[in-house]
Amino acid sequence: MDELELLKKDWKKEDKNFPKLSYNEIYKMILKKSSSIVKWIFIISILEFVFWVAISFTLKYTGFSDDIANVESNTTFIVMSIISYLILAYFFYRFYINYRTINTTDNATTLMENILKTRRTVKQYVGFNLIAIVVSVGVLLPYFINQDPEAQTIIENATANGELFKFYAGIIIVTLLMLAAVIVILLLFYWLIYGLLLKRLNKNYRELKKLEV
Amino acid sequence: MHKELEHSFVELLEKHQNIIHKVCRLYTYDYDAHNDLFQEITIQLWKAYPKFRGDAKFSTWMYRVGLNTAITLYRKSKRRISTQDFNDVQFKISAEEYDDTEEQQLKLLYNAVRQLNDIEKALVFLYLEDKNYREISETMGISEVNARVKMNRVKTKLRTILNP
Repeated sequence: MDELELLKKDWKKEDKNFPKLSYNEIYKMILKKSSSIVKWIFIISILEFVFWVAISFTLKYTGFSDDIANVESNTTFIVMSIISYLILAYFFYRFYINYRTINTTDNATTLMENILKTRRTVKQYVGFNLIAIVVSVGVLLPYFINQDPEAQTIIENATANGELFKFYAGIIIVTLLMLAAVIVILLLFYWLIYGLLLKRLNKNYRELKKLEV
Repeated sequence: MHKELEHSFVELLEKHQNIIHKVCRLYTYDYDAHNDLFQEITIQLWKAYPKFRGDAKFSTWMYRVGLNTAITLYRKSKRRISTQDFNDVQFKISAEEYDDTEEQQLKLLYNAVRQLNDIEKALVFLYLEDKNYREISETMGISEVNARVKMNRVKTKLRTILNP
């Protein structure tokens, strides 16, 4: 006899072995909060958006405020900051639309694809921010060095001692190391959070897609 | 209106609760985890209920949401204190119903099913619930051919587990 047929025969008798939950017990359950991965992805994504917006505000209105104020008078930087807000709005809109399409009554593959798509939007936004950080450091650093009187004095001394190359090499190495550290920490954080959260989904999605052409 | 919706939902669920129990039976191995998954499926069903239209059978709809929750949405609970085997407590196969060989064989079969991955379990579940390949392919979002191929592989895998 086919193994599954034997199992099927028994499976049908299982009904009477299950605990029978009462109306009230079920009612209590629907008042409880879900702990599904979709909920967690939503919360973490919102936190990510908040995090990056907070970072840009912090940079603008704290420590660097005076220097930034000079920079901001420059039209290029005003345009750049408008573009970054437009990009944020675009990503947030896409995230919201994708999130709305997640529907538990879809078939398993579509549901998984919609969850992954929502996640991908946030991932792209994070990627965009990381690139933006690298580009802005690249653009702003020479600007600050040229503007900062202290830096100018150091450069003059270095030129007099013939150590100008050492000075620039030092700055570039320190900047690169700091950027790398920030990126590594962020990537590690994402890898941990999403790796744990989406491990099962990714595995099951691959399994479903395995034979599809 | 909300109260009416709640009432109709809970009544329907009370009637069809075995479908959820069966999903939990396949995907969890102890009492706490069973209850945890049962609760999450119930919440997901309730959240989706306003979108439920009478054109689909409530039970068919439950299969979809139940499996989706088990294989995609559910995060395994961390508060797993009890490691007591569920099989030994709730689903004990009563000895008087089966002769020894069949009982033994069934036990081995259930153990073999446990070793399947999430997707394979979903296929077995739908098969045990008498769903045809069209319904299986629609629930899983794969082609009918693929559903057949996968099901054959599951059967082979079960055989290999049973007769190594």
